[in-house]
Amino acid sequence: MHPDPLPPGKLLERVPGLEAVEPCFDRGGFKWVYRATVQGRKEALKVLAMRTVAEPDVDPNLAEAFVREQYARIRREIQALAICSVPEIVKLGAISPIEFETEGTKFLAYSEEYVEGVDLWKLIRRPRELPPLPELVALFASLVRCVQELWRHGYVHRDIKPHNVMKTNDVSRQFVLLDLGIAFAVNETNLTYRADDRMPVATYRYLAPEMLQPDFRERIDYRTDLYTTGMTVYEYAAGRHPLARDADDLMQTISRALRQPPTPLGQHRPDLPADFCALVDGMLKKKPALRPANLRLLFQRLEAMT
Amino acid sequence: MKLYAQHGALQGDKTKVGIEKSYISGVIYSPRDIGVPQLRAHISEVARIDPSAEQFFDPQYYAGYNVTDPDARLGRLATCEDYEAYFRQRRRRELERDTRIIEADIADCLEFQMGLAVTGVISPNILITRSFDSIEGAIAKNFIRLSGQNRTNLGHGKPLFATLAVSREALLDRGELFSFLEDITALDEPPDGFYVLVAASSEDARADILHADVIAGWLLINQSLSLNGYQVINGYSDVLTPFLRIAGAAAGATGWWQNSRTFSLGRFLPASGGRLPIPRYLSKLLLNRITHIELAQITDLRARGRRIPAVLNGLETDSLYPPDAGYEPARAEEVLQSWEALHSLCEDLCRDDQIATLRLCRRAVTRAVQAYDVIQSIIRLDPRSNAEHLSAIEEGIDLFVRLAEIGEPGA
Repeated sequence: MHPDPLPPGKLLERVPGLEAVEPCFDRGGFKWVYRATVQGRKEALKVLAMRTVAEPDVDPNLAEAFVREQYARIRREIQALAICSVPEIVKLGAISPIEFETEGTKFLAYSEEYVEGVDLWKLIRRPRELPPLPELVALFASLVRCVQELWRHGYVHRDIKPHNVMKTNDVSRQFVLLDLGIAFAVNETNLTYRADDRMPVATYRYLAPEMLQPDFRERIDYRTDLYTTGMTVYEYAAGRHPLARDADDLMQTISRALRQPPTPLGQHRPDLPADFCALVDGMLKKKPALRPANLRLLFQRLEAMT
Repeated sequence: MKLYAQHGALQGDKTKVGIEKSYISGVIYSPRDIGVPQLRAHISEVARIDPSAEQFFDPQYYAGYNVTDPDARLGRLATCEDYEAYFRQRRRRELERDTRIIEADIADCLEFQMGLAVTGVISPNILITRSFDSIEGAIAKNFIRLSGQNRTNLGHGKPLFATLAVSREALLDRGELFSFLEDITALDEPPDGFYVLVAASSEDARADILHADVIAGWLLINQSLSLNGYQVINGYSDVLTPFLRIAGAAAGATGWWQNSRTFSLGRFLPASGGRLPIPRYLSKLLLNRITHIELAQITDLRARGRRIPAVLNGLETDSLYPPDAGYEPARAEEVLQSWEALHSLCEDLCRDDQIATLRLCRRAVTRAVQAYDVIQSIIRLDPRSNAEHLSAIEEGIDLFVRLAEIGEPGA
C-alpha cells in the first residue's frame, strides 16, 4: 500500500531551506511532488518514501534491493539533470538531496525548477482543437533535442510520455521534458526494475518493443527514446494513443506494443503533410534499426517543415 | 537508381562504351583483374568520356582474409606490386586481437585509393560467412566503425563507403541481422555510405541469391541504412537492382561474366573448369535473361503469327541480337544489352517514393509471371531462363514489406 503524502508543515520542519510548501499536487507510487518556495523562487520539491527491511511483509532482500534502486534512481536523475544543458530538459533546484526520518519511515527530498504550464496528458484529455503543424514540429524537435542531449551523456530517458512533457507559455522553451527518475545510464551495470515483478520500470502504454525483450539491457539506446518521442507526438497530434486503448488489460497493451502496427498518423490527421506523418510513423517501427535515427537528418527534415 | 559496371577480367572497351552510351553511371573496379597502370589509364579515360561518371575501387580485402586456399586465384592482387600497399592476407586471430591492425589496414587501403582518381573510396572488410553473431561479425563491425574514424583522420573530401559483405547464410538469421543493423546505424563517426555485397556459395549458385529470405534480408539492409541517411551501393545486384530501390538503394552493379553478376568467393578459388556460357538476352518483360537461341525462337514464332508475348525490349541494343538463331552475340555485345535493359528497367520501376516503386515492381513481377505462363506453354526454356526467380522476388518483397513494417495504403 502506498503511504499518504507528508503534510507541508512536516516538510517545512524537516527540509532546511524551504520557505513555503503548498499541498502535494502530483504523486506516483512512493514519490510526491510539492510546489515550494526556495530562495524566493518557486521550485518543485520531490519527496520519496524509502522502504526499509523492517517491513514485515516484504522479503528483506527485495526490500534492500528496492532501497538501493531508489537511491540509484535519484543519483542518476540528479546526475543527468546536472549535466544536461538544453533548455527543454528540466533543471535542478536549490535543495540538494536530503534524507530525514519521520514516524519510522525514511524520506529523501530534493528540488527541481518549477515549470509553469500544463502537461500534454491533460491537454490530450481536454476537449480541444488538434494542434497545428508548427506546434507539432516544435514538440517533435524539442523532444529530439532532449533525446540527443541525454544520449550525448550516455543516458536513455526511457519514460518519455505525455505526462512528462509540459507545454509552457515560454517561447524559448515551448515544451519541457520532466522526470528523469528512471533514466538509464548505458555504462552502468544496474538497470531499474520494479521491485515486485522484475519488469522494467516504465509506463506500459509507452514501452518501446525492445524494452519487452529479455536482453533489453544490452539493446537499449537512444532509439528507445525516439520511439516514445514518436508515441508522444502521435498522441498529441491525433488525440489518441497510437496503439493502446483505455479498455485494454496489461496483456493486450504489451501484445499491441510488440505486434500491432499503429494506424498511420495521416489517417487521423489528413491535414498534416505526408512527410511529417511518415517521420512520426517511422519512429514507431518495432525494430530500432528501422527507425530513422540519424539525428542530423531528423533535424533537417523537421526544419524543412517549418 | 544508378547502375554501375561491376568490373571483371578482359574489360576491353565494354565500360567505356557503356559510359559513352549512358547505359551505366559508373564503374566499380576489381583489382584482381587489372594492374595499377592500366587502372589509372582506364579511370582517366572514363572521366574524359563522362566527367560525371562515378568510379570506385573495390579493394577486395575479403579475398585476403576469407580465401585460404594456397592455389587461390588472386590475379593482380597477388602479382601487381602496387597492391602490396594495402592488400594483405590476414588471419582471424590477428584481426580479432588487435584493432590497431584493422586501423592500419584501413588507413593503407584508403590512402591507396586517394592516389587514384576515383570519385568515392571504399573501405576494406572481411566477408561474414556464417552469422552476424560471430567473431567474423565482430571483426566486420570493427572495420565499419574504424572506417568512419579513419576518414575523420584522413580529412579528405571524397565520400567514404564502408564495405558490408555478408553470406546468404548470415542473412537468414534475421534476429542477428537486426542486431547488427542496430549497431552499425548508430555509429558516432559513420561513413557516408555502404558498399553491400551478398555472397552466394558459388557464382553459378543463382538460387542462393534468388531466394525469398535472402532477397528480403538484402532489402532490409538497404532499408535500415538508407533511412538512416546512408547511400547504399549494391555490388553484383544484377537483375535485383531495380527491386533494391524499394528499400532506398542508391545504386546497383553488374558485369559481363557470371562472376561479376553474382558475388562469391568462388571467383578467387582454383578454377573448376567448364565452358563459356551461352550469350543471353535480358528481357525487361521477363525480368530475366534467356539464351539468344530462345530469343530467336520466340521472335520467329511471333513473326509466324503465334500469340506469344514480345520479349524484346524495343531498345537500341536489340539490334545486337538479329533474329537469326545462327548468330551468336559477343560478350561485349551481351553486356551492353544487359546494361541498357537494366538501366531502362530502373527508369521504369524506380521512383523516389517507396510505395510507388513497390507498386511498379509488384506490377512488373505480375506481368512477367503472365508472360512466362504463355511462353512456357509453347516452348521449353532452359532452366536458367525459366520463371523460378519470379516467385522468389515476389515472396521476398512481401516478406520485406512485412518485416520492414511498411504500411501499404490500400493493400
